[in-house]
Amino acid sequence: MTGIQLNKPQGSHFGRIWVIALHAFTQLVRMKVFYFLAVFAVIAIASNFFDLPQHEGPESVGINVLRSIKSWSLGTMTLFSVVLSIVATALLLPKDVEDRTLYTILAKPVPRLDYLAGKLLGVLLLVFVSLALMDILMTVVLHLRAGMVLDQQMAMAQARGWPAEAIAELRADTALHGPSWSLQGAVWAVFLRASIMASLALLISTFSTSTLFTTIISFLIYFIGHFQADARDAYLQAGEAGQGMLVRGAGLVMSLVLPDFQNFNVIDAVIEGQALPMVALAKLSAIGLYYAIFFTGASWFLFAKKEF
Amino acid sequence: MKNWQRNGILVGAIFVFGGLRLPFEAGLRGELQAAHLIPQALEIGTRDKIGQTSSAVALGGLRTLVATFLNLRAFGFFEAQRWDDVADTFDTIVDLAPKTRYYWEAGTSHAAYNASSYYLNQSTLPPLRRREAWRASVLRGRAFLERGIKNNPTDWSLLRNLGFLLSDTNLFPAFRNPDETFLAAAAAYRRSAATGNALPYVRRAEFISLARVTGKEREALALGRELYASKENRAPTVLLLLLVLEAHENPALDSAARAVEFFGTAQSAYENLCRYWLRTRELFPIYGVASALESLERTLAIPQEKSIFNKPLQSRPDADEWFRN
Amino acid sequence: MGLMAETIPAVEITNLVKDFKTSFGKKLLRAVDGVSLRIMPGEVYGLIGPNGSGKSTTMKALLGLVAPTAGHCAIFGKDSLKVDSRNDVGFLPENPYFYKHLSGAETLKFYGKLCGLGGKLLDARISELLALVDLEGARDRRLGGYSKGMLQRIGLAQALVQEPRLVILDEPTAGVDPVGSRQIRDLIFRLKERGITVFLCSHLLEQVQEVCDHVGIIFRGKMVKEGRLEDLIAIEDQTEIILKDADPELIGKITALVEASGASLVRTGKPRTTLERLFLRETTEGDEP
Repeated sequence: MTGIQLNKPQGSHFGRIWVIALHAFTQLVRMKVFYFLAVFAVIAIASNFFDLPQHEGPESVGINVLRSIKSWSLGTMTLFSVVLSIVATALLLPKDVEDRTLYTILAKPVPRLDYLAGKLLGVLLLVFVSLALMDILMTVVLHLRAGMVLDQQMAMAQARGWPAEAIAELRADTALHGPSWSLQGAVWAVFLRASIMASLALLISTFSTSTLFTTIISFLIYFIGHFQADARDAYLQAGEAGQGMLVRGAGLVMSLVLPDFQNFNVIDAVIEGQALPMVALAKLSAIGLYYAIFFTGASWFLFAKKEF
Repeated sequence: MKNWQRNGILVGAIFVFGGLRLPFEAGLRGELQAAHLIPQALEIGTRDKIGQTSSAVALGGLRTLVATFLNLRAFGFFEAQRWDDVADTFDTIVDLAPKTRYYWEAGTSHAAYNASSYYLNQSTLPPLRRREAWRASVLRGRAFLERGIKNNPTDWSLLRNLGFLLSDTNLFPAFRNPDETFLAAAAAYRRSAATGNALPYVRRAEFISLARVTGKEREALALGRELYASKENRAPTVLLLLLVLEAHENPALDSAARAVEFFGTAQSAYENLCRYWLRTRELFPIYGVASALESLERTLAIPQEKSIFNKPLQSRPDADEWFRN
Repeated sequence: MGLMAETIPAVEITNLVKDFKTSFGKKLLRAVDGVSLRIMPGEVYGLIGPNGSGKSTTMKALLGLVAPTAGHCAIFGKDSLKVDSRNDVGFLPENPYFYKHLSGAETLKFYGKLCGLGGKLLDARISELLALVDLEGARDRRLGGYSKGMLQRIGLAQALVQEPRLVILDEPTAGVDPVGSRQIRDLIFRLKERGITVFLCSHLLEQVQEVCDHVGIIFRGKMVKEGRLEDLIAIEDQTEIILKDADPELIGKITALVEASGASLVRTGKPRTTLERLFLRETTEGDEP
């Protein structure tokens, strides 16, 4: 024996969380989730070649291709991130309980909060890395294609003898659909929404009895969450609309309990070429963090007293 | 702590947590709606189509992708000339992607131009039915485009397209009252120019529309003079309308001399005025044009048989006439 | 080990009661009913009892995996419900499955890091532990390809990674073949030599008898017998004499002597080797020192 003596818990909370996170990350990676990235690569590149039928003149041709690349890419990112964050989170906890690996971990000096936070961070790490890779691919494809479209458009405009302002306008219009910081912001919003879903799935899985239950309930909340804002409006504007107490009360309960995902629909506006201001993104980030911390805290509250 | 106590605390925490975030989220929603980053409830058309609207909301992040697919489907309907399906599909598409100009423009042109001309040429239908179908289709296109403008009030191109639609000689009989229609067209062009992104011709188009509104001659003249100040705006139609409006304001004006001033030579002035004279389909005002032509014919010694007044005029746009076979 | 550590029990369980809810609501199932036990440092304690008698629940309560309904558990004086009580304990659950995607060394590294170890110290510790449990050859093989006995041994190494003063083994030889079982038994002896306290539970009595110096028998949640193994199993009024190369004549004389003295002869016969010993002799001939 080398003679190490331990009296106090060794290492920082963050150190432990990081060890568990990295481990959850590798565990998921070995479950071959990254194959999905290959699928994404095919989609991102193929979306270049979708020969979309045109209803309109030649100047909008290129822009449609750019929009198609963005739609496909962000759509795939949305699907991937939501499915992965829910399913992976719903899977990891019960798997550890079933395989009794949880006993060996909790029998070490590991606070239960560290364990939960580590698992969540591992899933988020995976989602983040995947989104980052997809984002890079999308940006590269978009950059190349936007350059080609712009060249084509300039050639067309010059051939037709457009005035300088018209060419500048066209150029600006096309630039809106190329790679932009707003697009990066939209990818970040996709990640934020996935973080909320992962932490929510974590909460559910601390009291759920099966992976299937966690997954189904999480997806349900995900979809209903998109209408939470309507329930809130029903509560806030019930007076004006002359609705009864019942509607008002139901609206209030719904908007207090369910997360609001409608604000994250800015992603669609960005795909359509709208600019996403930093302030809005910062507020979305604050909301994402708020949810993630609350759900993790609530998970710990339940998990701390759980018996195995 | 008992289990029910813990659950009670958790439920309480969920409510408190919800209460704390509610005002913040509601505020952010307002801001995002104001910035048109998320659609307002009213903007998404009527809430009759609740099913479609709901799916539009729930498809967060996937909406434009679904719109892309629907666009493909719309193209299929277009090829099959199933115009009602085309219109319905575009209604859904713009619910999903209300910020995409292309969908508004495509939807408009299908209804106002493609479908309407299909009905125009649909010889199996009785004339009255054809006429009503044509008119309904044009109006549907206009309404769709106006909805697009409501969703994208700063889009110069949609506004310009509304101007095009309202001042299209093939379409405006559908709107019944030419003065109102040209006035609306001019207003659309003006708003388009006011966005600051429009190309210079939009202001000329505004002038060309406004000049045709009975009772707005003075305003049109002021606009025309403002445009004239800049050289690039001196297109023949602008010059001719300016001439006509000046003649309207001052009936004693020697329009022939003014035309020569505008076009440099008597020959050029005469050719331009002749072309203008023949464009009856566009409902241009013709104050002082006849006298200027007469005067220029004398100056240029145009023989009587070659006089412009002997050439046949285009028939005026009249839907009743189109559908009279 | 300091003087203080000698006086603080490694395990102290006082009046432990644990109720579980049955699936139909109200009715409670009492899994552990007033169990008390104390293990002093350096002892090897075997808790035996039939399946479902409350052995595992007792261990889980000691590790803080379940909360006692009543009573108290402590490890080296620290409350089991507190995280820091687990600094000094290593646990090998029954039939453990570790992460299949990790190799032996990676598994130990993961658990070492969880305990706050790292760097060269941890690497050295991993090599030492792999040598201890005789898995150096399987160091970089994934756990997915380990046999049951190997899994049990890597589990033991995992339990030892932060050099705990107490290890808890839940059915350490369940499902392991006799050779593997023997290796684990030898490991327990080695731990004992190093002064590590061992708390194991099993229903394989022979094994417990071989390695433990203290035993508790638990039945239907209650501790029915507890104490030093030798004290418990010695038959006080009997004496055993084992002879070699004795002819029947000698046996006759001894029998006569016994009868003359007033004592009684219980039985004579040939002692048998155990089947386990026979099996081990036949299967490991030459490998064993």
